[in-house]
Amino acid sequence: MPATENQPSFLGRISIRRNQVSAMDMNHEQELEDLELFQRHVADRFVELSSSPQSDHHHQQQSSEPLLSVGWLRKLVDVFLCCEAEFKAVLIMGRDPSQITKPPLDKLLPELHERAVKALDICNAVSGGVDSVRQCQKLAEIAVSALEQKPYGDGQIKRAKRALSCLLTALAIEDKESSHNHHHKYPERAWSFGKRGGNSHAGKDRAVVVPFRSLTMVVAKNWSAAKQIQAMCNNLVAPRGGEPTGVASPVYMMGAVMVFVMWALVAAIPCQERNGLPTHFQMPRQTVWAQSLVGLQEKIGEEWKKKEKKGCAGLLEEMQRMEKLAQSLIEFADGYQFPGEEGKVDEVAAQVEELAEICRRLEEGLVPLQLQIREVFHRIVRSRTEVLDLLENAGKVTPTIG
Amino acid sequence: MEPPENSSTAGGGGGGFEDAKKIILRWDSSASEEARDKMIFNGDRQEVDRYLQAVDEIQKSLSSTSISDAGGEDQEKVNSAIQIAMARLEDEFRNILLTHTSPLEEDALNTAADYSSSSSHYSSAAAAERTGNEFDDEDNESTTLDLTDPIRRADSSSGSTVSSYRSTSSIREIDLIPAEAVSDLQSIARRMVSSGYLRECIQVYGSVRKSAVDASFRRLGIEKLSIGDIQRLEWDALETKIRRWIRAARVCVRILFASEKKLCEEIFYGIGTAIDDACFMETVKGPAIQLFNFAEAISISRRSPEKMFKILDLHDALMDLLPDIEVVFESKSADSIRVQAAEILSRLAEAARGILSEFENAVLREPSRVPVPGGTIHPLTRYVMNYISLISDYKQTLIELIMSKPSTGSRYSGDPTTPDMEFAELEGKTPLALHLIWIIVILQFNLDGKSKHYKDAALAHLFMMNNVHYIVQKVKGSPELREMIGDDYLRKLTGKFRQSATSYQRATWVSVLYCLRDEGLHVSGSFSSGVSKSALRERFKTFNAMFEEVHRTQATWLIPDSQLREELRISISEKLIPAYRSFLGRFRSHIESGRHPENYIKYSVEDLESAVLDFFEGCPVSQHLRRRSQ
Repeated sequence: MPATENQPSFLGRISIRRNQVSAMDMNHEQELEDLELFQRHVADRFVELSSSPQSDHHHQQQSSEPLLSVGWLRKLVDVFLCCEAEFKAVLIMGRDPSQITKPPLDKLLPELHERAVKALDICNAVSGGVDSVRQCQKLAEIAVSALEQKPYGDGQIKRAKRALSCLLTALAIEDKESSHNHHHKYPERAWSFGKRGGNSHAGKDRAVVVPFRSLTMVVAKNWSAAKQIQAMCNNLVAPRGGEPTGVASPVYMMGAVMVFVMWALVAAIPCQERNGLPTHFQMPRQTVWAQSLVGLQEKIGEEWKKKEKKGCAGLLEEMQRMEKLAQSLIEFADGYQFPGEEGKVDEVAAQVEELAEICRRLEEGLVPLQLQIREVFHRIVRSRTEVLDLLENAGKVTPTIG
Repeated sequence: MEPPENSSTAGGGGGGFEDAKKIILRWDSSASEEARDKMIFNGDRQEVDRYLQAVDEIQKSLSSTSISDAGGEDQEKVNSAIQIAMARLEDEFRNILLTHTSPLEEDALNTAADYSSSSSHYSSAAAAERTGNEFDDEDNESTTLDLTDPIRRADSSSGSTVSSYRSTSSIREIDLIPAEAVSDLQSIARRMVSSGYLRECIQVYGSVRKSAVDASFRRLGIEKLSIGDIQRLEWDALETKIRRWIRAARVCVRILFASEKKLCEEIFYGIGTAIDDACFMETVKGPAIQLFNFAEAISISRRSPEKMFKILDLHDALMDLLPDIEVVFESKSADSIRVQAAEILSRLAEAARGILSEFENAVLREPSRVPVPGGTIHPLTRYVMNYISLISDYKQTLIELIMSKPSTGSRYSGDPTTPDMEFAELEGKTPLALHLIWIIVILQFNLDGKSKHYKDAALAHLFMMNNVHYIVQKVKGSPELREMIGDDYLRKLTGKFRQSATSYQRATWVSVLYCLRDEGLHVSGSFSSGVSKSALRERFKTFNAMFEEVHRTQATWLIPDSQLREELRISISEKLIPAYRSFLGRFRSHIESGRHPENYIKYSVEDLESAVLDFFEGCPVSQHLRRRSQ
């Protein structure tokens, strides 16, 4: 199987499988075959994801997507959607409903559902996080548009500085998860001058103090992305080797894929309360399908550890670069004197160009990413409903009446 | 106003520019204490005009210098002045906005909410009256309705004749900021946008208005709950929250969001393209997502029968709001919100369908085996019938939601655990009606199974009679239900409980009445006087014993419906009394001519008549059946 699977052929395979399944009884051999196929596809997809270049080589190629960039995250979410579709086929199609009420599925499916609900909240939180990235993008755009015309006049410099310091504050706030109120603050534009002390405006000033909550945080106050991820890992245990694993195996694989994808999204995108986000969770490194996944997990885990020490913004590649550029540009602006040294100005122009490029990437990528995350949400809901229907048909659900 | 003469050649030293620059600098808040403490737009209107004119002047200079003196020192000066002016205007813009951020008045919200909720407050009890109120709403609210949209109005009013519980549009925009302030904001926004400060303008606008919307949200009691939280909440608690949400959602969509939209349109009217929309979305996107998140979480919660009616309330409320959501969020950038609302609606519909089938499953498999004492109405019967009469209250919605027939027939045929149902004779019924009939069928099927647990066959029949009779009464008691179930099926049900009554009588009374037959009493050969006294005495004794036993047990049986009870007693009496009377008439003399006749003829006809009155009262008879006459 080639490592680069594109979607149409993948879907084609599903429909072939469907025919096979309906044509014959789902016997053990068939199940093993399906399982192997599923494993291979999961492996292939993650191999492809991990072959993306490192973030520090981002200038290599235009088409390549650095690890944890918006483009890479979109691929990651795609991988999730593909795995999920195939998993559902393995789990549901041709399965004797009575199996669902027996071990191991009777225990695994409720766990899967628990995890799914948590994933839904993460989808919402991450989708909100994408909106805060957009806020940062807007601020960066102001800086870009101020610094695109040369020479840099005092006015432009001031304008850019104001936007950039606001951007840095926003990034810092996005990251300050230990803050006691847990609220993400809206990256509010500061007044153009220090705190207004005018007594005539005392009444209105109070309104300024009201915390500007993020545009986008829709989850509950005490909700913690880190805790959700931890809880998702909790009962995720690999079926023990040697046992006839059967259907337990794909359920576990899908669980692992789901936890990994949600974890990576939370690490990359500003998200409520990420303190204590695990940097590592149990993956069966000996299995083929999990190898690239483990590799990616280690890389991202390392990045996250560095981040926790340094206290920079989320791991989103564009945000990290944006932060560096913003710091550098602010430094430049602070010491700027019209018309500026020639070499320095050229250097800054290159940085502005890079910032503009980042903004373009975000502009192109964020909305589609948000749509994909929404699609993940739908998919999880739909699968949940389908499995519930299956349970219902199996006659399992016998709620007492009255 | 002076023309921007010489501005380029004089290096920004022209009179117009210099004057303008002076004004700008005077208000440079980073330079002077006074400029920092005062707001231009809070003060003298002349100063406001002067300042705005100065900004215009600078902008003009900018456009002329950029051509002739690109990159020169002059442009630097002009740019600098623009920056100072824009920073100032941004602050002024923010200040005006902040002055008017008080959340919607509590009163306004409450009256608005009560007002709009009056139309759709339909708990099950109020379901009957809910059809009446919509039209009042329409009349009252048409005064504030956007009259520029006659097509939609026409649509909604014609729609209301079909399904009147969905009220027509009731968007009510209010002025969040007074007109003078709006016009100030507009004149600032125009200048910021034309100087390329659009992004700043949007950011300031969004941040201030967003916090105002947040404050209104708090006032409306809209909580931030995660889907996980909502899954964990007790249903009772959720019911309250759903009720509150419906009320809050109406206010949000029709008043809060609609008014925010209007405000954006007023301030950014005629400036750039779609700026009003950008500002509007900046302000309400987060709140709208937060609002809908709750309904979303409910729509995917675990399905169980008790959730049906609140889910339908939520569905109807959202359905009701959908046209307004489509108006308020009409723009391309609000796609996701419109789509989300529609998705939630369809998911709620899906949930209602799922719950109905879950309910059917539960009715079929309700497992209790302990027979109810006295053969009275089973709690399951009451529950199911109350449930389906509530369903019929939500008929208008459910008829549209329930599109497929119940899953019965071929799929289950031959399965002894599921009853059969003939759809052929039920042609022309809506799928919803078929579901209701199907529910009654499986209810009876389950009850039949339960009746088998009675040791006494007569009691099993009485149990079925009671329960089916109750079903019939419930159906007759609700016009909607009766219409859906239809008279044909109702007749069938009536036949069924009659049949049970007959079976009961047969099971109990055939053997009792058998004592009163003539056969076996006559000594063969001598017809006229050849009555066997001993056989006759035995007969009377048997009859007395049997009747006493039946009387004793069946007095503890219960027919809760007094009319049915009465009818059954009459029916018993009609068979028993004449038989006894004639038996007594024929053989009394044979007993009375012997010794101790009172041992054999213990009861007069009147005794039996009054004893029958003890039947089915559900309580043990206090004294033994005695001869009461004499």
